[in-house]
Amino acid sequence: MDVLAQLIESGIALGMIYALIAFGYQLTFATSNTLNFGQGEALMLGALVGLTLVGHMSYWLMLPLVLVFGAFQGVVVERIGVRPTLKTKSEFGWIMTTISLAIIFKNVAENIWGHDDLTFPSPLPQEPLVFFGVRVLPMEIMIVLGALAIMLAVEIFNRKSIYGKAVVATANDRDAAGLMGINTGLVITFSYALSSMTAAFAGVLIAPLTLTGATMGAVLGLKAFSVAIIGGLNSGMGVIVGGLILGIAETTTGYYISTGYKDVPGLLLLLLVLTIKPAGMFGKSVIKKV
Amino acid sequence: MSLFKNIAAIVAIAVAASLPTMWSNPYYIHLMVVIGIYAILLLGLDIVVGYVGEVSLGHAALFGIGSYTAGVLGHSLGVPFLLTIPASIVVTAIFGAILALPALRVNGPYLAMVTLAFGTIIQILINEMDFLTNGPLGITIRKPIYFGHHISSADYYYIVLAALVMTLFVVQRILKSHLGRAFEALHDSPIASDCMGVSVYGYKVYAFVLSAGIAGLAGGLFTYSEEYISPNTYNFELTILFLLAVIMGGRKTRTGPILGAIIIVMLPNVLSDIDLFRKIAVGIAAVTVAYSIYVIATKQRSFKQMALPLLATIALAVSGFYIQDITGQRLTIFGLMILFVVYYLPNGIMGFLRGILLRIRPQWIHRHEVILEHGDKQHVWSVPDHPVTARGNLLEARNIVMQFGGLKALNEVNLEVKKGTVHGLIGPNGSGKSTMMNVLTGIYKPTSGEIEFNGKHITGATPSSIAGEGIARTFQNVQLFGEMTAIENVLVGLHHTYRHSLLDVVFHTPRCRREKLAARVRAASLLQFVGLVDLASEEARNLPYGKQRLLEIARALALNPSLLLLDEPAAGLTAPDIKELIGMINKIRGHGITVILIEHHMDVVMSICDTVTVLDFGQKIAEGTPAQVQSDDKVIEAYLGGTAAA
Amino acid sequence: MLRINNLHAAYGKVEVLHGISVEVPQGKVVTLIGSNGAGKTTTMRAISGMIKPVSGSISLNGKDITGMSSSKIARAGLAHSPEGRRVFATLSVTDNLLLGAFPRLTFGRERGDVPGDLVRVFDLFPRLKERETQLAGTLSGGEQQMLAMGRALMLNPAVLLLDEPSMGLAPLLVAEVFRIIRELKARGITMLLVEQFAAAALEVADYGYVMENGRISVHGPAGQLKNDPAVREAYLGAAH
Repeated sequence: MDVLAQLIESGIALGMIYALIAFGYQLTFATSNTLNFGQGEALMLGALVGLTLVGHMSYWLMLPLVLVFGAFQGVVVERIGVRPTLKTKSEFGWIMTTISLAIIFKNVAENIWGHDDLTFPSPLPQEPLVFFGVRVLPMEIMIVLGALAIMLAVEIFNRKSIYGKAVVATANDRDAAGLMGINTGLVITFSYALSSMTAAFAGVLIAPLTLTGATMGAVLGLKAFSVAIIGGLNSGMGVIVGGLILGIAETTTGYYISTGYKDVPGLLLLLLVLTIKPAGMFGKSVIKKV
Repeated sequence: MSLFKNIAAIVAIAVAASLPTMWSNPYYIHLMVVIGIYAILLLGLDIVVGYVGEVSLGHAALFGIGSYTAGVLGHSLGVPFLLTIPASIVVTAIFGAILALPALRVNGPYLAMVTLAFGTIIQILINEMDFLTNGPLGITIRKPIYFGHHISSADYYYIVLAALVMTLFVVQRILKSHLGRAFEALHDSPIASDCMGVSVYGYKVYAFVLSAGIAGLAGGLFTYSEEYISPNTYNFELTILFLLAVIMGGRKTRTGPILGAIIIVMLPNVLSDIDLFRKIAVGIAAVTVAYSIYVIATKQRSFKQMALPLLATIALAVSGFYIQDITGQRLTIFGLMILFVVYYLPNGIMGFLRGILLRIRPQWIHRHEVILEHGDKQHVWSVPDHPVTARGNLLEARNIVMQFGGLKALNEVNLEVKKGTVHGLIGPNGSGKSTMMNVLTGIYKPTSGEIEFNGKHITGATPSSIAGEGIARTFQNVQLFGEMTAIENVLVGLHHTYRHSLLDVVFHTPRCRREKLAARVRAASLLQFVGLVDLASEEARNLPYGKQRLLEIARALALNPSLLLLDEPAAGLTAPDIKELIGMINKIRGHGITVILIEHHMDVVMSICDTVTVLDFGQKIAEGTPAQVQSDDKVIEAYLGGTAAA
Repeated sequence: MLRINNLHAAYGKVEVLHGISVEVPQGKVVTLIGSNGAGKTTTMRAISGMIKPVSGSISLNGKDITGMSSSKIARAGLAHSPEGRRVFATLSVTDNLLLGAFPRLTFGRERGDVPGDLVRVFDLFPRLKERETQLAGTLSGGEQQMLAMGRALMLNPAVLLLDEPSMGLAPLLVAEVFRIIRELKARGITMLLVEQFAAAALEVADYGYVMENGRISVHGPAGQLKNDPAVREAYLGAAH
């Protein structure tokens, strides 16, 4: 029982990371019906840039700089990979361009930071705190709080500021938003900036707990897509639930079956959900207009 | 295929067969074998990527399944080569069907993710299930021995060449047949596809299975070529390479995959030779600079538009001189190539060349098959697949409720359509007419209520099975297969008349030829009936709006329906065209086909309908003869807008 | 003053508008009527920038707005209440209305009195005031139409485009919509109205254009058109 509780606890922290990446998928999908196949690489770049900066300054000073970097990286992806393909209605274009940007980023990262995995210094003490027999690392608490904080911040922005409402309006109906004088192109660029920013943030949150390297992003991105699908690409709450489900499923599989198979539950879950309910567990199915 | 193409193909095969004697170096022979194997896989990948139009990130995994099937059977069980190869095809095809399951109801990015998840799972399984696959240690196997002679690399080249030629032949036959047309249809307009009896789910599975089987063949051949296989070959990088090859070579062509295979096999060789890379990079930069100067000077493009490509190519050339080893940048090069192809060469190299050829010698390019058969009056009409057994009412819809979230689009609607009549369905915008149409054709499943057609319950049936029962329709927002010609659109409607099997298609048996001919004559006759025979070879998206609507009618009639649903057929037609339309509908009724007609043009409705049902806010508010309905107060107020301005 | 001259528009390669010329003078209500498929909504979409015209010109108070993006045209002072309402379903009634004034709230020029305008819109549509915090997607069809019109008014537009405001509404609500249009006319708002209910539209308009197959077939003062037998038969139904 203690083991299970421990597994659930580490599953929660892992799950919140997935939720945060998935949240990024939702942001761009809502406003532009596209997503960044290189979302995992955005996380990876955030972690590596953070690693370099942390060598010269404290973790806390590094955080806002990584956020700015993430936003910039998102704008680059949108300008090069997404905007030109939005004109053609086919999805083929942006799927291939965001994939190609992802492999370019990964290759560049390998050349700059090398092929080996590096350790990221933890800003918080490494000794776990103990609650009811369960060991909780301070960093894990920070992950959960940090992820919730940033998602909350975006929610507040969407609800309170007129710019946030403009983003929601674009997500609801892009053409009608244009009629309001909203520059929907700028909204899409902004949502990509925000999306990569949250991914970069997730990167520096998880880096102290795992190995940091050029390959850390790819599988994370795919599994976070599972979470985004389970949560439904248009529901905010769903990603947190989905993330927790996946995180806990993975830690328990890794322990009870084998670590080689630990990536399998997430992928199987993705296939299963898409077979049964293509719109995701919490998603709304779109009614075809004929 | 034309004589010219046949001769060109024979010459190409002869040249290919003579290559090992020219370049007998085993290293080159091995390269050519790999090119051949990749080309086989890419021909299969093109079915999914080029024809069905989806991104597949799982083909490296399918390739791996084929390889490992051959490897495991050959190494652990000692199964001979001539059995392991067919086994690879079959096993991989089965996995293709498994992959198709989650891919059925999704498309675009979701489908790409499904294939990626599938590919990742397969790689993990191959790596972990070492009791079967030997895990990371891999499997070693030797080429087969026949009649005491050990097959050498040069011999193996001929085996692969034979396999490639066979694959080309089979794929060409399939894609030029009604099957290829079905794949294109489900990409162009899945809704119209389903409603014409070409089940989107069914053909998606078909495409994946075919593509997987071919990938399995390539995989099996690969095992014997390399004589050693291990899990990390079949990774994400390989799947990206395959995609790059198929897009860069040119989708929907047979030469594109071969060209693509050559490029991706030769690429690492170019990249490992830094001097060669530098020369090529500088060359590309020089060409880009020259082209930019030309295009900016003649004002075809602005500097801003050319800035990015200029910057990229010059940076590439310069970087070549700073880097000693380019293989570490391999993936960056692939990524840049994909970006380049997506933006500047969307139709690949072959597509680009065809475009040039189209401009200087248009008569050499046949984008679509030219159909020479002529139609006539006898072949317009044919017997429905399911004869009409109902006596009074052909269609009965009882208590239909259609609820979308909070909105009740149809509220307890009853509809009875008598056999052999033209039944009008009118009402203001938003009254539920099109929703009713969609419920009757299976696009929406009614929240409650029953539908009985020709004595059979069809409530909740899929659109393609309803089409099979004998109900055909046209669409309010035209849903033609835009990239196909007019006659090809009608041929999709005739899909149900092609009863012959895949083997018949491949071997072009007499049965296949007979059905093809019959369908073409029928299609030409139907076009004649709607007056579009002169535009038969015109792409549907280029037809004027009014003609597009007539084409939809021809396509719907191709289904041999007993019930025809027309959704605003007169919209966008001029007065003389409307007269012809009325004549057409009368003839259709004359041949025993029952018609349900949604229309706003009152004169059309009043002149040909036997009965008219009026809907408003999802409810039936009146029903009767046109004259009765015309003078009904409720109808006048709700629909014709008489006293609304009070 | 809105002036459209020889407008051609197409969907893909198929041309649907073949040279439309319409003039909406200051303070007047002009209506565009015609059967389904005649091109009325396409004309509206070309004016507000939702689709780009192939040729022709559109000018708003002397400023050429042809080919501009819809957000720039909105910022120039042209409000469009689109066909099908298209309210922002997951935002509240008040938020929808505030977004109508987006250019005034964000770019600083000509701010005017946005809170005051909000109060005035609620006065015009008391039913919206009752539902001010309700999500727009849960409103009835008639209420959504009110919201779309109010949202367009929040721009304080030079010209207001109303696209099929009566579509899908019960007769009582249609009467309400036209009452409001008359009220707006009394306040001097310049409007271009596209309507399926030709009778009602011609009652409230000053001038009318009849469209058929992408062309203007007849035009004239609304009073004259109302009694033109050809118009009556084609668009009000042969029963009359």
